Amino acid sequence: MSLEELAFLVLAAIAVGTALAALLVRELVHTILWISVFFVALSGIYFLLQADFLGILQLGVYAGAVTILLLFGVMVTRKRIFSREAATGIGPFPLALALVSIVILSGVAAGLPTQPRTVHAYSPAALSEQLFTTDGGWLVLLGLTMLSALAGAIYLVREGRE
Amino acid sequence: MSGLVLAQFLGLSAALLGIGLFGILTRRNFILLLIAIEVAINAAVLNFVYFAGFASGPGGVSGQAAAVVVVGLAATEVAVGLAIVLALNRQRGSINVAEASTLRQ
Repeated sequence: MSLEELAFLVLAAIAVGTALAALLVRELVHTILWISVFFVALSGIYFLLQADFLGILQLGVYAGAVTILLLFGVMVTRKRIFSREAATGIGPFPLALALVSIVILSGVAAGLPTQPRTVHAYSPAALSEQLFTTDGGWLVLLGLTMLSALAGAIYLVREGRE
Repeated sequence: MSGLVLAQFLGLSAALLGIGLFGILTRRNFILLLIAIEVAINAAVLNFVYFAGFASGPGGVSGQAAAVVVVGLAATEVAVGLAIVLALNRQRGSINVAEASTLRQ
């Protein structure tokens, strides 16, 4: 087993474990701590795949901004921050649906060729050229979506809407 | 440089999507629901990055561009979701999605 493969397996185990822990622990603040470790593990996988820019973006946007935003949401919506959630039952139908989707998708993945391949590294310059020329329309669309989301968020939380 | 196996990465994505799906269907707290959606979206972004890395042609960078756009959309979704959480908390005093069948006054 190569060093890269070992690094991938460790990061994948951390990602799956922290994602499960985040959704199963009963204190919401612990959930957010686990999910921030999950985001850092994913950025490690991006670095392993030579996608450096996306790794940094993942750290900044998810491990930084989204985590703080979620913590802010917890802090303003409850009186005691470390209070436990009521236990939610694990219904048989959601569990079955999740397991079936994992089995089907893994079955498809298992049919693919398994010889190791070297990953292709793209420079941030090539990525930005793609983003601002060929895929420029998507970037404009993203900007417009963010603008309308900003307006919508302000509408939802504005004063006097009781 | 010895290389990586694509099938293992797709297996990881499948596992994360399953975990996210399970969380979306079972959790009743709005913030936990948002986190489960983030896990599922991250599984999809990972797929874009794998296929960009394993693509042989020059067009592979397009996959990373798509990943950047999806990350931006997911961050937007969290912001709007938290605005809904705050509105719900002010109106109902609870962020349980089972009690929030409507947001209209």
